[in-house]
Amino acid sequence: MKETWRLIDMRIEDAPTQMAIDEAIAMARLKENTPNTVRLYRWNPSAVSIGYFQGIEKEVNLPACEKYGVDVIRRITGGGAVYHDYNGEITYSLVAPEADPKMPADILESYELICGAIANGLATLGVDAEFKPVNDIVAGGKKISGNAQTRRHGVVLQHGTVLVDTDIRRMFQVLRVSDAKISDKLIKAVEDRVTNLRRYLGRQVGFDEARAALLKGFEDTFDVSLEPGELTDAENRLVKQLHEKYSSREWVFQR
Amino acid sequence: MKRAEYKIPGGKLLSTELVVEGDRMVGVKITGDFFMHPETSIIDLEKALDGIHTADLEDTVKRFFKENDVTLFGIHVEDFVKVVRMALES
Repeated sequence: MKETWRLIDMRIEDAPTQMAIDEAIAMARLKENTPNTVRLYRWNPSAVSIGYFQGIEKEVNLPACEKYGVDVIRRITGGGAVYHDYNGEITYSLVAPEADPKMPADILESYELICGAIANGLATLGVDAEFKPVNDIVAGGKKISGNAQTRRHGVVLQHGTVLVDTDIRRMFQVLRVSDAKISDKLIKAVEDRVTNLRRYLGRQVGFDEARAALLKGFEDTFDVSLEPGELTDAENRLVKQLHEKYSSREWVFQR
Repeated sequence: MKRAEYKIPGGKLLSTELVVEGDRMVGVKITGDFFMHPETSIIDLEKALDGIHTADLEDTVKRFFKENDVTLFGIHVEDFVKVVRMALES
């Protein structure tokens, strides 16, 4: 009998809600004895998330975000800035206790395992992807996923982005990669470093297809069955509290 | 205001800004795309560096990580020393 983990499947929410749900699941995991959980989700409206330690003005073109209606949020995890394109990106998160026999104590090994689940999922679509330390997944030498992990409350929380058909031009309008204007030359340079499922496979990849592949990757890698479920009442209460934090200027603009 | 940016071998970016007043540094801010948990330790590190004699930089950073249970990933203790020193020397 396979172990069962909870799946919170493809919720579409705004940025503060998504970040509040990830943190709430991590907080509740041991305290409320909730199951290990995998989420897949999308951000509506599209949003930029920045790493906990990043300077917001340095990483984000705030006027461009305002102009295009893109939310900006700070994560509890470190790592870099990500553009979560509602029409072209899937985010995953995984929460399991640090002491779980399936979770390596070593941080690098746990990244390797969880990113391996993503890579295994993408392999079912025909993508030859692999984990690239520190925290990326690359396909054909180009980044297709960025990942970020924290450990708190005795649990591992890792979330990450999978680029399905991201609008690369918009991505580099809202992220401050360079002070230079977004020229075709820069777009070209970016295309040499970043890819997505559509570009890599040379065909449209729907969210349903990408979702199924990622779920299979998690199930096979962790040898578990993912069973669709909902947040508990306790988690929903935490989400409500945490939503306030993530929406606040104090949190988002703290550095 | 003095600033420095340092690309850590392996790919992460570390930045700092600070003000030098006489032989002391104040208002040290450290930013970047590295990993450190608990994440709020960065605030404690910045506080530990606030107002110290610039010559005490290395000792202060090393003592901070010795006395606090902080996990670093994609960055090492020496990188913090290095970026702040770069800013001081800029």
